[in-house]
Amino acid sequence: MKRLLLRLFVISSLCMMAGGAYGGSRPRYGGSVRILLHDRVLSIDPLGDEDRPAARDRMAALAFEHLTGVDAQGRLRPGLAVSWHADQSKRAWQFRLRLANFHDGTVLTAADVAASLAKSNPAWKYSAIDRQTVSIETPYAVQQMPELLALPRYAIVKRQADGSNPPILIGTGSYKLNQWQAGERAQFTANDDYWGGRPFADSIEFQMGASLRDQLMDRQLGSFAATELSVDQIRNVELNNQTVTLSRPADLLALVFVQPDSGGRPGRKPVDARVRQALGLTLNRAAISNVIFQRKATPASGLLPQWLTGYEFMFNGASDINRAKELRADAAAFVVISPIALAYDFADPLARLAAERIAVDAREAGIIVQPYAESHLYSKAARGSMNADAVLLRVPLQSLDPSVALAARMDDLGISPESAPAIFGATRPEDLLEIERKLLETNRVLPVAHVPQVLWLNSTAHNWQQGLNGAWDLDQLWMEGAR
Amino acid sequence: MSLKTKLLLLVTIGITASVGAVAWLIEERAHEAFRQVEQDRTAALVNQFRREFEHAGDEITRGVDAIASSDAMQRTVTELANGAEYANYVNEAASNAAAQRLDFLDLIAPDGAIISSAHWPARFGYKQRWFLDLPSPLPRQAFLKHVETPQGSVLAMLCLRTVPVHGLNYYLIGGRKLDAVVQSLSPPEGLRVAIFSVPEQGTGELIGPGKESFDPARLTSLIQKVLDKRTEDSATVDLGPALGREEIVHAIPLPGYTDRVPAVLLVGNSLEQELLLEKRIRNISLAIAGVGVFIGVVVSGIVTARFSRPIKTLAQAATEIGHGNWDVRVETSGKDEIGKLAVAFNQMTTELIGQRERLVQSERVAAWRELARRLAHELKNPLFPLQITVENLLRARQNTPQEFDEVFQESTATLLAEIANLKTIIGRFSDFSKMPAPQLQAVDLNELVSSVAQLFQGQLNRDPGRIQPKLQLGDVAKVSADPVLLRRVIENLVLNAIDAMPQGGTLIFRTMTGSDDRFALFELEDTGAGLTTEECERLFTPYYTTKQHGTGLGLAIAQSVISDHHGRITVSSKKDLGTTFRIEMPVWDGAGEGKNVGVS
Repeated sequence: MKRLLLRLFVISSLCMMAGGAYGGSRPRYGGSVRILLHDRVLSIDPLGDEDRPAARDRMAALAFEHLTGVDAQGRLRPGLAVSWHADQSKRAWQFRLRLANFHDGTVLTAADVAASLAKSNPAWKYSAIDRQTVSIETPYAVQQMPELLALPRYAIVKRQADGSNPPILIGTGSYKLNQWQAGERAQFTANDDYWGGRPFADSIEFQMGASLRDQLMDRQLGSFAATELSVDQIRNVELNNQTVTLSRPADLLALVFVQPDSGGRPGRKPVDARVRQALGLTLNRAAISNVIFQRKATPASGLLPQWLTGYEFMFNGASDINRAKELRADAAAFVVISPIALAYDFADPLARLAAERIAVDAREAGIIVQPYAESHLYSKAARGSMNADAVLLRVPLQSLDPSVALAARMDDLGISPESAPAIFGATRPEDLLEIERKLLETNRVLPVAHVPQVLWLNSTAHNWQQGLNGAWDLDQLWMEGAR
Repeated sequence: MSLKTKLLLLVTIGITASVGAVAWLIEERAHEAFRQVEQDRTAALVNQFRREFEHAGDEITRGVDAIASSDAMQRTVTELANGAEYANYVNEAASNAAAQRLDFLDLIAPDGAIISSAHWPARFGYKQRWFLDLPSPLPRQAFLKHVETPQGSVLAMLCLRTVPVHGLNYYLIGGRKLDAVVQSLSPPEGLRVAIFSVPEQGTGELIGPGKESFDPARLTSLIQKVLDKRTEDSATVDLGPALGREEIVHAIPLPGYTDRVPAVLLVGNSLEQELLLEKRIRNISLAIAGVGVFIGVVVSGIVTARFSRPIKTLAQAATEIGHGNWDVRVETSGKDEIGKLAVAFNQMTTELIGQRERLVQSERVAAWRELARRLAHELKNPLFPLQITVENLLRARQNTPQEFDEVFQESTATLLAEIANLKTIIGRFSDFSKMPAPQLQAVDLNELVSSVAQLFQGQLNRDPGRIQPKLQLGDVAKVSADPVLLRRVIENLVLNAIDAMPQGGTLIFRTMTGSDDRFALFELEDTGAGLTTEECERLFTPYYTTKQHGTGLGLAIAQSVISDHHGRITVSSKKDLGTTFRIEMPVWDGAGEGKNVGVS
């Protein structure tokens, strides 16, 4: 009997422990998720010329969906489209839509999708075959159309013009925009009618423009579920046994020379090709990646990271000061070499450090680089009239498909889209390698480093899904202790 | 130059020189005093800078020591020595520098590689080896050195410390900008201070609060001198007309960690106040000199009036006497030298009048004697034939009465002739004594001379002694003369000339304007035998003649006539070449029309 009682006690205890354990890890509905963002976003419009497009796209992903999606492992999955197919030439695509409603309660139709996509890429032809089928015709083959449509700019948005400016943007996402204070605060509430089911959290609130000090204090207070970090903060956070998640080194830090036809410093000539090449040879990418980015970044010799394409090692990213000196001397024999004004993001201290390091290394070859801070570095319109010879940009990896990622990256870097047909028509990695090689040979873009995205997560936040490229998927996010 | 002018000049020079000397002395004393004050002020400021320099050095040293000895730094270098990534400490220097208020801080690996740099974080990995080459031991005190920054080379006060761990030496180099030390200085008014930074490469620059007010171009030579000699020096710098002032600039070399001078302390001491004072002294001196000169003029005027008036009176009296006014006398007021001089002058005048009267009397006696001698001589010649003739008549009456009538007739003719001769002689004497006063009028000298020459044309052309007349008449003004008397004078001279050229010759009539415009000249030049000097001197003496039958009164009368016209007649002659008579006649001025001139 005693043995029986003892066995019952043990079994009941185990059951209780197991039940408790199950109850602790089970997602819970409710609660508000507060996220601290470093950047200030002024508009959530995916097509807007935003100063902070990366942060904008993170918020926009909650409210606006795409026809297709990419999961955290980079696998293509259906979005608003449940199926798709293309003709043999890959120039005509048809997407079958699922039944979904916009946040205003209206039903998503093929016409809505065609209208939205027409704004995203007016060069293509869109038509509604029927209420649930939309077709896309392109002037050239697009092998990766489904992956391409997963890019943020192809979000399906209904623009409701009621005379106000800008128009009201309505999406179909799992969260709908509830409150918006440009540059300050944004609150998204759960979409109860979401076709994929109501998300766990009642709301997600973004606090924008957080300083380093604010971030530190908020992390200590635990009032936020997550905050963005820069890589130089990782060590301190880890020393405090807090959770830090890093994406793959996906963002590209690159020095981009301002194209002559896109503005540039008034009255000044574009930087000589030999000087551009010399400057590329002075870059100490290893020092920048290992020291400034604390070995969390990898030296970049190509536009796309090695882990994505597998061919980046084919590009030579080693510094060669002697050759740089020769090139500079060669250029100096023909042109007057003026100091290169290098603009960096004023809100990014690591970008400043990297720009200064570029200037230090360039001095070794006799090239004067004058770094200075700019506040609208990521606005293409502002960049066109910027008083700079070159800009130091950090652009995200928008897709895990190399072709799409390359096309998006070129767009982000402001490189002319002439090679877009070739990129979208590429079927082999060698094709992309050749395209990228040609791009890099002009030395208009000098890749510096592939940098990861870093996130501090509160231990109470669960199921925060971060893609390889750092993209967030917060549909399954739930907060511990939520009621 | 008059005595008054001389005296005024003397007084002016005396006053000006005195005032100038006093002003110079005052300026010199003021200059010395200002220089002394300037040196004191500069020395005080330099001492203040040195104190601030030492104080800043101590602060930097303490700050770097505090960082080097901190647990955090010890932990850092220990981790680094144990192989920790340099990348983890790239921001280490910035936080430490901020805590110790340092502008510069480098954490350096044993091989000289920069692990972390507060002032230039991007410079990690680059090597600094300058301190590794320094001889041991490394400097303990703060020192000056240029630090490379993204903005260029900056002059800094640095402190170097080693942080040893596990047998390895890590280094900390921290410091502050030197201009911060200079900023803390509070130079008094008129002083300004700056530092000339001399980087190892490139051109130097001024730093500090006074850098804008210094002009490096004007200080180049001074700075170069100090850099070469490594000793302090000073120079007066003209700040140009725009600033309108000068300045003494002291340049003091500031030592670095080697023999090279990394910077020069410049202390500018404005001379504005001194120049202002000197200007005031100069102005006051000029004012005093001006007043002095004015007083001198007044005083010298009074003094010269006191002394020069009697002298001037004496001079005027002497002039009067020179003009023949012997009655002039001067006042003899005062018993000083001037008074004695006046008395002596009056005495002299009295003596001269007496001597003149005695001379006149003696001359008069001599003249009478000469007149008597000449009269006797002239009368003796006709008297002797008269006596012979009368004696012949008597003898003829007694011895040959039959021939008496004939003799009587002859004797009577002789007697009449000799009596006529006596009358002529007496008539000439009478003419000389009865010279009429000239009736002055405007006379055309050329016309008069021409008519005289025309008159004598016949006599000149006689044979065998033919005389060639030449008229050289100039453009002369009319003269003031009695035309009858002047004509007689010229005719007399022509007759004399004809007598002087018995074998013929040339007779030149010449008129011209005299050297004095107030006189016209007439010259009569012959080519006769000429006269000796003695003859020339005596030629105008009455009764002196070189001719056998002359009375010696012609030229005396001529001289008398010309003298009555206020003119002058002279003669010049060379033996065997000829004689020239010259008459100077006053030009007619209209004042003497119809006027009789008294004959003295």
